[in-house]
Amino acid sequence: MNRRTLVGLLLLWSLGPLLWQVYTSFCSDQALIQPFVSHDQRWTLIHYQSVLNANPPFWRYLVNSLIVGISSTFLCLLLALPAAYALNRIPRQLSALSRLALVGAALFPYVLLFLALLELARALNLGNQLLALSLPYAALSQPLAILLLNNAFNDLPPELEDAAKLEGLSLFQRFRWIFIPLISPATASTAILVFLFSWNEYPIALTWISDSSKLTLPVAMARIAGSSIYSVPYGAYAAATVLGSIPLVLLVLIFQKPIVSGLTSGAVKG
Amino acid sequence: MRHSHFIRRIIATLFIVLICSAGFGIAQARSIESVSFLMAAPFADATQDLVKQFNQEHRGNISLQVVRGPLETEAMSDLAISSLLLGKAPFDGLLMDVTWLPKYAAAGWMQPLEDYFSETDIASLAIGAREGNSYDGHLYRWPMNADMGLLYYRTDLMEQPPETPDQLVQVSQSLQKDKKVDWGYVWQGRQYEGLSCVYLELIDGFGGDWLKTDSNQIGLNSKPGVEAAAWLQGLIDQGVSPRAVTNYGEAEALQSFKVGDAAFMRNWPYAWAELQKSDSAVKGNVGITTMVAKPGHTTATLGSWGLTVLKGSSHVDASIEAIRFLTSETAQKQLFLKYGYSPTQQRVIDDPQLLQDKPILAEFGRALKVATPRPQTALYAQISDVLTRQLSSILTGERTPENGMNVAAANTNQILMSAGEKP
Amino acid sequence: MIIFLLLPALLLLLVVFVVPLFRYAWLSFHADSVITGLIAIPNGGANWLRLLQDLRYWQDLGQTLRFAGVSVGLELILALCIALLLDQRWRGRDVVRTLALIPWALPTTVMALGWRWIFNTPYGPIDHFTKIAGIGSLNILGDPNFAWIATVWADVWKTTPFAALILLAGLQTIPADLYEALRLEGGNALICLRRITLPLLRPYILLALLFRLAQSFGVFDLIQVLTGGGPASTTESIALYAYWNALRFLDFGYSSTIIMASFVLISLICVIAWIGLQVLIPTHPKSRGVIEL
Repeated sequence: MNRRTLVGLLLLWSLGPLLWQVYTSFCSDQALIQPFVSHDQRWTLIHYQSVLNANPPFWRYLVNSLIVGISSTFLCLLLALPAAYALNRIPRQLSALSRLALVGAALFPYVLLFLALLELARALNLGNQLLALSLPYAALSQPLAILLLNNAFNDLPPELEDAAKLEGLSLFQRFRWIFIPLISPATASTAILVFLFSWNEYPIALTWISDSSKLTLPVAMARIAGSSIYSVPYGAYAAATVLGSIPLVLLVLIFQKPIVSGLTSGAVKG
Repeated sequence: MRHSHFIRRIIATLFIVLICSAGFGIAQARSIESVSFLMAAPFADATQDLVKQFNQEHRGNISLQVVRGPLETEAMSDLAISSLLLGKAPFDGLLMDVTWLPKYAAAGWMQPLEDYFSETDIASLAIGAREGNSYDGHLYRWPMNADMGLLYYRTDLMEQPPETPDQLVQVSQSLQKDKKVDWGYVWQGRQYEGLSCVYLELIDGFGGDWLKTDSNQIGLNSKPGVEAAAWLQGLIDQGVSPRAVTNYGEAEALQSFKVGDAAFMRNWPYAWAELQKSDSAVKGNVGITTMVAKPGHTTATLGSWGLTVLKGSSHVDASIEAIRFLTSETAQKQLFLKYGYSPTQQRVIDDPQLLQDKPILAEFGRALKVATPRPQTALYAQISDVLTRQLSSILTGERTPENGMNVAAANTNQILMSAGEKP
Repeated sequence: MIIFLLLPALLLLLVVFVVPLFRYAWLSFHADSVITGLIAIPNGGANWLRLLQDLRYWQDLGQTLRFAGVSVGLELILALCIALLLDQRWRGRDVVRTLALIPWALPTTVMALGWRWIFNTPYGPIDHFTKIAGIGSLNILGDPNFAWIATVWADVWKTTPFAALILLAGLQTIPADLYEALRLEGGNALICLRRITLPLLRPYILLALLFRLAQSFGVFDLIQVLTGGGPASTTESIALYAYWNALRFLDFGYSSTIIMASFVLISLICVIAWIGLQVLIPTHPKSRGVIEL
């Protein structure tokens, strides 16, 4: 097989299912059920209308996810940046041990935490609050964020900080004027990975949010799975999947560089 | 310096907004009691007009709000439970399926209602609708609509609907042989609650019992229990039902029946109104009867949705007021005429005018008379889960009916034992 | 001073990762269910005894292992192929790499719904295809033999790009002169793969494997939306079973027991898989032994 066929196959494999959803979303219900019969009304926008005019309207979930994504990313970086910096300045063995623990935490199938986190939400009255979700999200993405940022700090020449100290810069000033600008590429990659995680997270959002106007996109999608008892509503599902995919497809297209470097830098340092 | 000034201004503004809104809130709360109910989406949509009427009648007094939940019963239950588990439930009442009640009551989430509904109130309900509203001696739920499993058949294909399981198979096969329909019978065979409902009608119809909650006697592996499972499996084997029925819920069965693919369908009353719509290929050619059974054992699984008040609600009286309104005779008539929801008040079922306009109501009434609830225990979700799991193995050919029902009975026994319900 | 920089992150990690484990361990020795009115009452080891006898748990564990093993295995093979393809230089490579990344970025539940439609019987495209091909309707999501394959398929689709990227990063660290030297000795592509690519890729393969393995043991979103655990519970995973026990059956004691047991077993299996692969993949003098991250 030549390369062109292989690339074609790869694209078909990756994008085929999505394109099928796009196709489905524009088909009328009748055309979906009887695909080989000619219909006078094959193409329709009705599925998009029904999804966008639902109560609450679809864009609401996108906004909710956006809010959670941004606040989680912000909180996560706020905690991870100093921690990643400090990790190099504690005794060597302790730092190695912490890094190992962080790898373990990053690998942990976090789904299993749902029950304890549900209890936490109940105890602290955090249920049904979008911003509260950023607490578990920031915590769950913390291990990866610290590791990635720590790698970036490691790459900085140690003389840099000594020189800055001689200049009389305080810790905060060093952060603000030296480190933050220098590790901004790594910070950007980390931020986008954390954002993607928070945007896509399902089990915790499922248990923490029950108010339908506060649902994040993944939970709303799962709930749409039961959107009609009257017929098989795959047209509407498809419209919802397409609408729900657009922001992420755009995100990947725009930010593919930092995403790729974020995903791989952890590996490259290995 | 400018910075801190700016922050101070923001804080001041926030503070003022906060005080204003709190004050406004208190003023609001004093004058109007706002009550909210969580309902599955179809009910939330159907009661919209009633809610408007109620709010008009009680203007300045009570403001009723319906929170629209998801559409599938199980998704609805998951949502209700997770709201309750999170602590402060964001609503006062809940429209509840008949099978949830024991669990919610045992968890201590429900407000007992016996002080609000009298014996005469209860006597006004149809017999089938009186079932499944109480747990442990307390009344917790007031039925809004009665749901029962029904057998839909095509009047253009047969004079009389079959009455026994064997007849159903015979009629189906001869219709299939004559190429009148692709399939004989479509039902709910996916592994979910609907399959338990299908099975309950059959085990009772073959003369058995799923679980006697008073003595904890399990009948799944008795002769009728195995026969019922074997009959369902046989439908697939003989080609009376499509193989894909093992992944059918109500919607899929309705879809297949609605386009004219099948001669029989098991479904709930709501399907009637759907089948009369203009896009239905079988419009005007559909009849309703009770599920096939051995002579003298006819039953219908009781589905029924009812309103409850949650413990901790600070608007119990107003909630009761709303419940009375939503379950009143006028409300039930309206829900039946517009959405096909079958009534629970005997007077509505017997209403001569209604019967004349919609003769189908008589069939609903007949089925409701023989309606049976599923086992009323707080462990229902578990025991139904093990049942559907084994039934699904049987239907997909993973296990034989005997083997599967034995396992189901053993698992049920284990659940009852580890909960201490059984020594 | 340094400790104050670490403290907030440490605290959050403790609350979210460590406290739950202790809580689960504690709850697993208590009856806390709808029967006890949602109050925790010590019950000795009754939950653990029940777990040992609970065939459903062991079946779910087996199914989860099957799912994880098959999907991670397929994923790595496919990812290696994709990485090798993307490692070569050709026009439009960056565009293809970006497009191939899209499945990974989408929320699982979004495409799980899509797959439900694609695998739908009788209206989905796969069913049309098999009917035209003369195989007949497969009833994919309704048949215990196929439904789990559908879940693997959907999972491989979504997560392969991630593994491919990690492997690609590894490939790009391999100096080209190594290949040339071997080719001069007369080695063909397959020998190159076995003697150079795989050994030097080792740490990356292990990293991708370990990460994906641990995550796929916790598979939840995909199965809940795609099959709901059916048919006949043949796609139910341990996470889903724990979830049902907590939110549907209101049995928190037993749910905690399931989670605790699964946590211990998963850790064990990950360690074994890691050691096993270290032995299995050939080494190269230039490849590093352990992942340091």
